[in-house]
Parts: sequence; structure tokens; C-alpha cells
Amino acid sequence: MRLEMRTCFGAALFLGIVCTIYWFWSNEDTGTACLLFSFCAYALMGSYFFLQWKRRKGVPRPEDRDDADMNDGEGEIGYFPAASIWPFGIGLGGIFLAVGLIYGMWYLLIGGVFVVGSIIGFVVEAEAREEGPADPGMPITATGDNPPLTSFQVPSSHSQGA
Amino acid sequence: MSPLQTGVLATYWGSPKGVTTYSKLIHDLWSLNYYIALPIAAIVLGGILWCVVRYRARPGDDRKARQFQYHIPIEATYTIIPLILVAVIFGYMYGIENKETHVSKHPGLVIKVQAFQWGWRFTYPNGHQELGSVATEPNINDESALPVLYMPTHETVQIDLSSVDVIHTFYVPEFLYNRDAIPGVKNQVDFNVTTAGQWIGECNQLCGTYHAFMRFEVDAMPKAAFDAWYHAQKPNSLTIAGASKS
Amino acid sequence: MTLIQERPGGPGEPGATGLVAEPLTEIVPGPRPRGVVKFVTSTDHKQIGLNYLVTSFIGFLAAGIMAEVMRTQLIGPNNHLVGPASYNQLVTMHGTVMLFVFGGPFAFGLANYILPLQIGAPDMAFPRFNNLSYWLYLGGFLVMMAGFLTNDGAADFGWFGYAPLTEAIHSPGPGADMWILGIALTGFSGIFTAVNVITTTFTLRAPGMVMFRMPIFVWNELVTLFLVLLAFPVLTAAMALLWCDRHLGTSFYDPAGGGQPILWQNLFWFFGHPEVYILALPYFGVVTEVFATMSKKPVFGYKGMIAATLTIGGLSMGVWAHHMYTTGAVLLPFFAAMTVLIAVPTGIKFFNWIGTMWQGVLTLNTAMLFSLGFLVIFLCGGITGVMLAQPPLDFQLHMTYFVVAHFHYVLVGTTAFGAFASIYYWFPKYTGRLLDEKLGKISFALMFIGTNLTYFPMHDLGLRGMPRRVFTYPVNAGWTFLNELATIGAYILGIGVLFTVINIFHSMRRGQIAGDNPWDGQTLEWATSSPPPEHNFEILPPIRSERPLWDANHPDQLTEVGH
Repeated sequence: MRLEMRTCFGAALFLGIVCTIYWFWSNEDTGTACLLFSFCAYALMGSYFFLQWKRRKGVPRPEDRDDADMNDGEGEIGYFPAASIWPFGIGLGGIFLAVGLIYGMWYLLIGGVFVVGSIIGFVVEAEAREEGPADPGMPITATGDNPPLTSFQVPSSHSQGA
Repeated sequence: MSPLQTGVLATYWGSPKGVTTYSKLIHDLWSLNYYIALPIAAIVLGGILWCVVRYRARPGDDRKARQFQYHIPIEATYTIIPLILVAVIFGYMYGIENKETHVSKHPGLVIKVQAFQWGWRFTYPNGHQELGSVATEPNINDESALPVLYMPTHETVQIDLSSVDVIHTFYVPEFLYNRDAIPGVKNQVDFNVTTAGQWIGECNQLCGTYHAFMRFEVDAMPKAAFDAWYHAQKPNSLTIAGASKS
Repeated sequence: MTLIQERPGGPGEPGATGLVAEPLTEIVPGPRPRGVVKFVTSTDHKQIGLNYLVTSFIGFLAAGIMAEVMRTQLIGPNNHLVGPASYNQLVTMHGTVMLFVFGGPFAFGLANYILPLQIGAPDMAFPRFNNLSYWLYLGGFLVMMAGFLTNDGAADFGWFGYAPLTEAIHSPGPGADMWILGIALTGFSGIFTAVNVITTTFTLRAPGMVMFRMPIFVWNELVTLFLVLLAFPVLTAAMALLWCDRHLGTSFYDPAGGGQPILWQNLFWFFGHPEVYILALPYFGVVTEVFATMSKKPVFGYKGMIAATLTIGGLSMGVWAHHMYTTGAVLLPFFAAMTVLIAVPTGIKFFNWIGTMWQGVLTLNTAMLFSLGFLVIFLCGGITGVMLAQPPLDFQLHMTYFVVAHFHYVLVGTTAFGAFASIYYWFPKYTGRLLDEKLGKISFALMFIGTNLTYFPMHDLGLRGMPRRVFTYPVNAGWTFLNELATIGAYILGIGVLFTVINIFHSMRRGQIAGDNPWDGQTLEWATSSPPPEHNFEILPPIRSERPLWDANHPDQLTEVGH
């Protein structure tokens, strides 16, 4: 996590310096406010990664180690459902909200129903996975059964050149 | 012609020959830009062409590519040299921008230029106005119906720009200068025209449907001729461009 | 330096022990959606990536047609093919669609499809959120284009919509509101994609894929999305304030009520400048990949490239007011200094690209030709950019056709040529078939000639004083011949684009089968089938450098240590 943290803090530091120089040189409000917001955004992200780094007490993750191999990534990677209708519902609601802001407040009601309903479905779908039957396509688990590779052979369908 | 432009390179690099006291500085700056840009472009293009011609894969050629990834001295060179070049450019143009934006406290003449959708109103100190708009300009090819900004040469003329509705821009290509007319903001810019002549000016900011028609004319003349014209205009009178035609 | 030259087992060990029988990852089996249902509900990053790529390409074609109409109108003086009101709509929507529907989202589509593959991840960090990003984007595209269907037409105040021209009193009609909301929706889509991609890059890399072994394309997309996170919220805020001015009687930008038009410009350009780097950086990454693969060499100056990308990203946040030099309200030396400074990291990238090709073995296929075309065209665009960065020259050229020439050289060179390079490079990965090389080379030749013929004359037009966004010009302005050249160039460019479209349709069914790795690629996306299976990888090579597949396939040609 260290490099991620440093990237974010580096960006925040740079933006903070630019903001300070800009404010004292130009006294211009809008640009300073925008740069200040930018500084805060990356300082926030950097702080999150700092806390994560502290939590791990400096033990690097497999993807942070130069000498890791595939078996080090064993375990559940995450929740990756193959398909879900709820994002479409939220998107559709978004279009109705946009149209409502232009043409009439009553569209906002339709849009609101779609958005709120879909968000509920979104969240419930994630919780159902804890208790219900296995949902096709998730979770993905790294098997950890990979034999140590002494060489890597690309399957025979490989072809070279252009 | 300015000191940086000599011999074979004596050119205005595509710009119209400027007619104000800033123009020499700007032409010099263009020259500096080209003297830096053209060699760099030649080096980069040369590098690309060299690679394409010399290193392309040829049938039957089993040469293996060299697998180097770093060469710190070369990388340092092409970091530091561009830094120096941009510092030179910045240093050279810093003085010019200060001169161009400087507004004199004692200009020879102050003309209020007011932009509106879609025309111009020029107001002189005695209240005389020159007015022209798309309403008087039937056809974009017709230059006789444009409002005329009369000004004397060899004198600091201050233009007070303002707008009544949306953002417009006062632009005369031969002045090599653009300045925005922003509603609620008074922008001032000084010009000292060195040659007499007539040039077309334009609105240079999209300001609505008839933006393309928002043109005007600048007529710079020696002070004596300008004074003669100016005293012939009654105070607070109004000349509408093209009106004499109908 | 992170050059890892040893592979497990050591160099010289005999290889080829055959395939591993068990897959790398395990997923719960079950039926998968197909067809239209798959298009709507799939959360697979590859499907969503394709959705983005296809939709944004349609946007590119739509905006391209608008451009052809505009160029036809401008072929001669005092032309009346379209009137001024329609022309203003075309010019606004051409810019808006090219930037918000094609340029950015095509890069997000590439990030969606290719980035997880290149870092060895099974999918994006938030797959359903990813799907949501696509629907918001499509919604935004449709809403902004729907302006054309209204009585008063689409938005017509230029793609940067300067207030107070955008206020309700000067632009009544719903077209402007649809523009505002369309941009807000695509903006949210971009922000959500940024969250997703940054999280994926930081948390889902394969073991051994440390940050300094990620491909340059991944780094460039990462920095791009860092910029999106900062720029798009500011744009959305500016749009929200504009909407309030138009509908709720506020006066943020209206001087009559005490507001300031300059506020809009500052907010918009604080977004607008990072936006153009958002449009450029991913494609810098694409051509870097193409150069390395097609030269059979590692990326030259890998760490320098990353440093240059980060520097460009950082500096781009501090240069916004170089679009506002002529307002008189801007601290000129600060912005001039920051802007000319960006030339330095960009120059570093240029020399690194040449260094990547140096002493390589170059395969000049269509993807490589488009990348070389990008280099040449972007060189010209970059040089004119340094010219425009200087206030005295910008005072002369602001809002003339010189600026149009500059940004089209940069955008067509980078975004369009980079996008086309990515199409020719990764189409085999998406579909399993190669695009036809003959059609591709014709497309490249026409596009290269067309781009230069269209935009080079515009430099001179700008120097002669032709303003932007004029629907016609007088006969004795002296601009006619150059406009004719530009229009003919535009037609050639359009035909070149068509050749690629034909190529895509032809090759989807009848292209030569590509296999996993038709280009002898170096990065992980080529280590799996074309197209990849659901969980992306059956097996992964050990990751000991930024080109793990090359190391596995060419153990005798590892990157030279130390030099």
C-alpha cells in the first residue's frame, strides 16, 4: 500500500504547493478554491491508504512483493456477480431524472422510483449472497493449487507475427 | 523588419505585418519560436524516420532487437535541454506581455467600444457615436455598411471595452491583438498605430446567431486628418453605418 | 531499477513442461445471460468495455458527420447550405460529442477491457457499478443528442458554453438544458469509472505485479482517472450553478444580478484543461504499448515515462487560465510558465518513444502506422501548443482558426489516431480475428493525408485572422482557397475512417483467426485466449518485470540489466 499512499500524498503535496503559490501571487478566489478542493481530495485518499498501510503493519500484499508467485494470492478475491439488472434500473432512472429537470417535475417521480428501487435491489442482491444459494459467476477464489512453474508454455494456438 | 529576422529568414512567419508599436516585439517573438521549433521538429522527425527506415523488419533478416531500457545520460540531456529552451522562451516573452497589457494613465484619446448582439458602437469623447450592426449589414460581402473606428496614428489610443449582453471579443488581425468585451467588466487596452490604413476588425467570440456578421472597420489616419474629421462631428451625434445608402 | 532478470528455475533451464490442468481461479458454475440480456445486465468488464467502445465509436461517427456538414458549408464564401443558427448547433454538438461521448469514454472502454487483463485481475473491483457507469454514459449521450429533436434545436453556444450566452435569456429552449444534463450524466459516469479503475489498479493486481511492473498503458489510464476524479466534479458543480441560473433565478454568472461571467470560465477551464489531458494520456499509453510490442523491445525509459506522465497530470491542474488570457482577468506569468513547462515531460515521452524503436525490429503493420502517424501529427500540435502558451502570441491568435488547427492536430493525432491504433492492436483480442491489413493501410494513408490537408491550412487561416465558429466568410477576405483545401481534406479523412469501419464489419466474420498472441505481445492480455474466458486467465506466467509474457516466451532476450 505504500506506493499507492505515496502517489496520492505526492499529488496532494504538489497541488497544495501550487495552490499556495497561486493564492499569494494572484489572490484569485475561484482557482484557489478549486486547487484547494483538489488538494483535499488527494489528501483524503492518501490518508485512507495510510491507514490501510498501518493496519497491515508494513506487511506487503502479494501484489506488492517482487518475488510473489500465483499461490501467494490464494483465497477469495472478491464478489463478482455475472449479471445484474439493477445498474440498468438506476441508469434508466437517471435519464428520467434528467428529463424531469427539463420538462416537468412529475418525471422526477418516475425517475425517483426507478433510482431508489434499483438501489434497494442492488444492496439486497449483495446481501442475498451471504445466505442464499450460490449466484452463478461469483465469488471468485484463487485456488492456490497451482504447481510451481519452471517455465510457461503458451497454448498451442499461439501464432507469431503480424 | 525586426532584428531577429535577417536574410533568408526575413518574413513575418505568416502573420500580417503588424501596424502598432507592439508589432515588432511580436514578430521577434515569432522568430524566436520558429528558431527553436524548427530544429526540434527536424530532430524528432529525423529520429522517427531513421527508426522506420533503418530498423524495420525485412524478410529473411533474423536480427534480434537490442533489449536496453535505460540510458541515463541521454535521458538527462533531453530533460534539461527542453527545460532551458522553455525558460528562454518564457523569459523573452515576459517583458512583451507586460508591455502589451500596460494601460497608460494619460492616453492621447479614449474611445469607448461597446459590443452588443450583433454590432458595435464606438463613442468618442465628445459623445459622437459610430454604430453598426447586422441590421444594417445585408450581406457579409458588403463592407461599406460596417461601423468605422476612426483613430489617429502615432498616438496612444485607449479602447474602453464593454458589452451589454454576452461576451464578445474586439479583434483586428493587423493589430495582432484580441481582447474580450465581458458584460460587467471594463477592459482597457492601449494601441499606438504606426501606419495609416484601413483594416477589418471582427468579433472573435461566439456570441449568438449572427456572430459572423459582427465586423467593423478601423481607419487610422495622421493626426491632422483625424482632427479634421473629429471636429467635423457634432457632439453627441450618431452615424449609423450604411445609412447613407438607403 | 526494477529489472528482474531471473525466472524461477534460472536462465538456461529447459522449458516446456506443458499446460497446467487446473484453472487459476474458481467460480461458481451456472447459466450465463446471452444476447440482449447480456448486453443489458452483464457485469463482465470485457462486455462493458465493448459496450463503451462501440457506443463511443458511434458517437465519433455522428460527430464526424456534423463536421463534414460544417466543412461543406465553409467550402466557399457566403455559402448557404446551413444557416447560422443550425451551424452554431453543429459546431457545439460536434465538440461536445467528440469530447464527452467519444474521446473520454473510448479511453474508459479501453480501461475497462484491457486494464484488468494487463494487471492480471479477474474483473473490475466493482462490476455492477461498472455497468451503472455505462448506462449513465449512454443516457447522457442520448439526452444531449435529443436536443436536435426539439423545436429550438440543440445547444448552440459552443462546447465550452460561455456564460452569459448560456443564460436563459440568451439561450431559451430545452436544447441547452439537455446539453447541461447530458454532460452531467456522462460526467457522473466518468467519475464512477474513475473510482472503479483506481480501486482495481490499487487492489486487484496479480501477485508479483508491483506498481513499477505495471504496463505504461495502465499507468497512463491511472493518471487519467486521477484527473477525472478532480476535474469532473468541478464541471458538474459549474453545470449545476448554470442550471440554477437558468431555472431558479440565481445570478451566479449573470452580471445583471451581481454575478460574474468569469466565474464560469474559471470553473469550466479548471475542468477543461485536465479534460484535454484525459483525452490524450490514455492514447499515449496505447501507442507506448504498440511501439514496444511492434519493435520487440522494452519501453525505453520506463520510469522516466511514468515520471513524465505524473508530471503532465500534475501540471495540467495548474494551467487552466491559459484559455482565458484575453479576458484581462488572469495572472499571465503564472499560467504561461506552467503551460510552457508541460512541454518538457511531453518531450521526454517523445524521445522515449523514439528510444523504444531504436535498434528494434520494427513491424510496420497498421497499428504501428497509426502510432507513427500519431507521433508526427502530435509533434506539430505540441509545437503550436507551446506557441499558444505565450500570452503575446495568444493575444494574436486567440479564438482564430490557428487554435482550431492546434487542437485538432493534438486531438485527431492523439485521440483519433491513438483510438484507431488501439482498434487495430486489440481487435484480435476482442474478437479472435485479425483486421485486414490492406484495408487498414489504406485507411491510415487516407486519414493521415486527410488530417494534414484539413488542418494545416487552418494555421494560415488563423494567422490571417479568420475567427472560429463563423458560419460563413466574405469573398474578399482571402480565406477561400485555404477553406477549400480544408474541406477536401475533411472528405479524405472521412473516407479514411470509413475504410476502418468497413474493415471492422468485414473482419468480424471473415478475418484471419488471430490466436492468443498474434503480435508476440509482451503484456499479460496476450497470455490468455482471444477473447479471454470469463475469469480472464487459466494460467499466468510469473511476473518479474513489466513484460511478463515476453520474459516467459523469450528467455534469451530479457531486458539488459543496468543499461
